[in-house]
Amino acid sequence: MDINELIQKLEGEFEDIPKGALTPSTKITDIQGWGSMHALIVIALMDAEYGITVKGDELRSVQSIQDLFDLAKKKQAAL
Amino acid sequence: METPFHLNNKTILVTGASSGIGRQIAISCSTMGAKMVITGRDKTRLSETFSQLKGEEHFQMTCDLLKDDERIKFCEAIPVLDGVVHCAGIVAPVPTKYIEEKHIRQVMGSNFEIPILLTGRLMRSKKIKDKASFVFMSSISSHFPYNGGSLYTASKAAIEAYSKNLAFENYTKGIRSNCLAPAMVETPIYEKTKEGMYGVDPEKYPSLYPLGIGKPEDVANAAIFLLSDASKWITGTNILMDGGYSLTLLVK
Repeated sequence: MDINELIQKLEGEFEDIPKGALTPSTKITDIQGWGSMHALIVIALMDAEYGITVKGDELRSVQSIQDLFDLAKKKQAAL
Repeated sequence: METPFHLNNKTILVTGASSGIGRQIAISCSTMGAKMVITGRDKTRLSETFSQLKGEEHFQMTCDLLKDDERIKFCEAIPVLDGVVHCAGIVAPVPTKYIEEKHIRQVMGSNFEIPILLTGRLMRSKKIKDKASFVFMSSISSHFPYNGGSLYTASKAAIEAYSKNLAFENYTKGIRSNCLAPAMVETPIYEKTKEGMYGVDPEKYPSLYPLGIGKPEDVANAAIFLLSDASKWITGTNILMDGGYSLTLLVK
């Protein structure tokens, strides 16, 4: 799992943002148009693509895409 | 004149009684005179509900109602019933394009398969008296969508249709079946639903309801009505309970 791949997947999901708009330091709540649907998509994407379960309150504690990646790596290691 | 607004001499089963609306319905029904049969999966929390029941001769049994053997054993163990409230249920928000078989199994299993399989087994085990009343939990969301709610709302719409058919097949015995369709009620499920509202101000939601967010007692009171003889002319229907939410939609 690498962070660029995660960024690509996120950009692929949020079709209304231009490619290259997201970086590891992007705050997820700053993603253009961020709302409840985006949160659900992130949770579903982490499950479908990486087989990990991110809970709503865990996602709430995540600031940047780097944080999300770190959380995902930690969870994947614990599988 | 004797009031029909009570549950004296009635034995009522409540599933999902270990928390939320199910717990409150169990407690409220016992307050209205019913002998309660309560079930849930969590032994500790079910016992907490049991200890809050008023009166005597109640019965509790933990059970995973999705498991055939446990469900059958449960139906053999319990007394004959005058009413059943199907409260066991879950929410699990998933965006439509991510829905996989496991999500369908999870949501439809709890919200659709359990009430249907349990109802059938109760009837075949002769545990449903003539003139008994079934109450199913639907939801306002079966008519009003929300993000990630497609499976949940579909399961509730399905149970509404099922309830009507159950009512139709059994009216000759005086058996009735109805649904309650509440909007937001303060329960653990509500807390879980709010999780799906990440990034949306949760404070916004109460203001959508002219009469405020529902309390479990509000739903329990409607369930008591549907279980009592006061509603003996009501079957095959669905009671929307939304604190006035749908009244105000056009002006929002």
